[in-house]
Amino acid sequence: MLSPIVHTLLILLVGLFLATSIEAQEPPAPYLSELLQRAHQAKLANEREWHLLLHYRANLFGGYTSEQDDPGFFLSPDGQTDPQAELDATLTQFFSPTLIGRSKQPAQCAFVARYAWLHERLDFDAGQLPALRCDRFERWREEFHARSITLVFPSAFMNNPASMFGHTLLRIDQEGQTPHTRILAYTINFAADVPKDEGLAYPVRGIFGGYRGYFSTIPYYLKVQEYRDIENRDIWEYRLNFDEPKIRRLLMHAWELGNASFDYFFFKENCSYHLLSLLEYADPSLRLTDKFRFWTIPADTVRLLADQPGLVTDTAFRPSRVTLIRRKREQLTAAEHGLVKRLVRDAAVAQSDDVRSLPLPRQAFVLDVASDYVRYTGERDESQATAARDHNRQLLTARSLLRIPSEDLSILPFATQPESGHKTSRASLGGGWRNNDSFEEFSVRTAYHDLLDPEPGYTPDAQIEIGSISVRHYNRAAQTRIERATLLNVVSLSPIDSLFRAPSWKLNVGMQTIRHGECQLCSNWSLNGGIGAATETHVLRREVWFAFAEVEGNYSRAYEERHRVGGGASAGFYADVAERWRVLASATYLRYALGDRSDDVRWSVGQRYTLAQNWALRLDYNHRDHDNDVLFTVQAFF
Amino acid sequence: MLRQFIVALGVVAVASQAGLAMAANPDTGPGCGLGKLAWADYKNQKNIAPQVMMATTNGTFGSGTFGISSGTSGCTNDGQVMADQKTTMFALLNFENLTQEMAQGQGEHLASLATLMGVPSEQHAAFFALTQERYTALVQDGETSSVALVKTLNDAVSKSPVLAQAVSR
Repeated sequence: MLSPIVHTLLILLVGLFLATSIEAQEPPAPYLSELLQRAHQAKLANEREWHLLLHYRANLFGGYTSEQDDPGFFLSPDGQTDPQAELDATLTQFFSPTLIGRSKQPAQCAFVARYAWLHERLDFDAGQLPALRCDRFERWREEFHARSITLVFPSAFMNNPASMFGHTLLRIDQEGQTPHTRILAYTINFAADVPKDEGLAYPVRGIFGGYRGYFSTIPYYLKVQEYRDIENRDIWEYRLNFDEPKIRRLLMHAWELGNASFDYFFFKENCSYHLLSLLEYADPSLRLTDKFRFWTIPADTVRLLADQPGLVTDTAFRPSRVTLIRRKREQLTAAEHGLVKRLVRDAAVAQSDDVRSLPLPRQAFVLDVASDYVRYTGERDESQATAARDHNRQLLTARSLLRIPSEDLSILPFATQPESGHKTSRASLGGGWRNNDSFEEFSVRTAYHDLLDPEPGYTPDAQIEIGSISVRHYNRAAQTRIERATLLNVVSLSPIDSLFRAPSWKLNVGMQTIRHGECQLCSNWSLNGGIGAATETHVLRREVWFAFAEVEGNYSRAYEERHRVGGGASAGFYADVAERWRVLASATYLRYALGDRSDDVRWSVGQRYTLAQNWALRLDYNHRDHDNDVLFTVQAFF
Repeated sequence: MLRQFIVALGVVAVASQAGLAMAANPDTGPGCGLGKLAWADYKNQKNIAPQVMMATTNGTFGSGTFGISSGTSGCTNDGQVMADQKTTMFALLNFENLTQEMAQGQGEHLASLATLMGVPSEQHAAFFALTQERYTALVQDGETSSVALVKTLNDAVSKSPVLAQAVSR
């Protein structure tokens, strides 16, 4: 143990050494020594503020490591793991006008938030440590005309694996901004920098931190185009109750992050995670990143923010183009609907008497729906883009000649607000019968949502299950075994109607327990993929019907040659019988032509009753080949 | 769509980006380079590989052009669009939405363009009516360049008795 005096002396020496090595041409500043000493006495390097500024996380076995991975962000070579060394080096560098980091500024300007905090705590003497003017930062900060901060959540996009869970970004709302000019605001967006043509390496590198993530300020209008127009994702906007000092803190730290880069981990240190750390710095009373130890799902971060008392002041919804068209279509008469379909095929119909005999506002409305739909087809299919644009021009020319403005409609979402949904992990406990035996079962699923789970807050007709495992104890066989495991089970149903004709698809990779030949309880690994179609009806509340053509490969020691490969079809439906009660039934026939030649008939009926936002009851019946299986469970989302 | 998914999972090799419509992007940039770059990149996102990247990356042109404290590059300064480029940049990057809203006589993109041009919100309705009236000519200008589009709009505003007064204040 060093005595405090020796300790202090040592620190002074280190400080002097740093000062002399960096600014060799100038004499060591006695004022620097004084500041270092005071910083040590006040134990500033142990404070939460410093840890937030440098993104330090406590290590499992003591000490700290910063999540930030760019050497240019640290002023000490040991900065990533040594908060004290970094603080000493920062103070030292404040005396120097040398341009540092990626942003090429003096330390005082590159790290404005560090400077502001240390200045506040140590009360720098302007005579001995003159404050530098940071014109670049001041101009940048003013350019935002920042008035408030909004969290933006583009909802899940099933047809892109990387955005299946949604995304989050911040928007810096401007002074004088109206709902009609909010697209002019800048965003603060954290994203991985992925080189083009990464294709095969992308998922692997994305998951394991192979990319660098950076902060940028992309104008909101570009983000709206991306999500609303191209990817057809509904956007939710949550205004945060941040006052001027918090906004200032947020912008100061965001400026510093221009020098930073973070190894990007798709599941945890992703867009949402790093935005939380920025919000935490803006308002240190928020404790956000601690809540995410293993993975950060954007919807969970939205829920977390919505749960902070008084943080979210109001919520706005921005419909995707598809939502817009579907909602507008509800307001069409059957005859008008027919006209839209004709206009979509042939723009000259705009000149026809059928259209022109409508009242002027209805003509305008019919043309607007047709124009939205033609744009949608152009965005969906690159080969149609030019044709769709010309077609749309003709529709719009006709539209412009009507000389009346379109009505400003308020479009309601089909999905409910994301924060109203169940949490994303699930545990189930229950029991049942399989053939002549009874069992108890416990299951955990890490993420995210299946077709029978309570739907509020989630994209309807979409299922993503990642990483689930079920353990069963059979009473008569006196055997405890892993009954089922799922690596990935995705279903995307797109109900087809007269305007929208997207295919439905599914993919399932996992293990089940089967009975086959001599083997009573056998593990069977399977890979199944299917493509098909879906449609919806509204007899009770809402029913979705689906059918798939599918292929499947199985691996199990129960089979001859240990495998079988085949194809078949499945069909089914789910129906909301009551607000909290859903039934899902499906039947499958598969014939295996390769390996163990055999066939398989499966059918299942599942029911869910919602008890509360995070509680549900399930009753599942599964028939598979010769197995009959009934399972009753209580499910908790956490 | 299933194909996209499989591609993304790395089961199938990514389709080559060569030959996908890049020719439809004439150099209509405002002159500082970003316009062309951004627009080209933006259209490009519809290719499979960039599309996949989009979600996590959210913008293939994010960190370079709009990177925070990244210095001066083309049309941006430390990641923000330069003041004199704002209007033309906006007109360029939102051309499809703008023309649609011009024909429809209202919309947020049009309101935002009016704001950038200094038209006070009380006069937005007049501005919308003006763009609806001149829809065909404005689209033609816009297809030449966004600079021409903004110039035509400015001229039209300065000739409109109501708007000219409001803009000059």
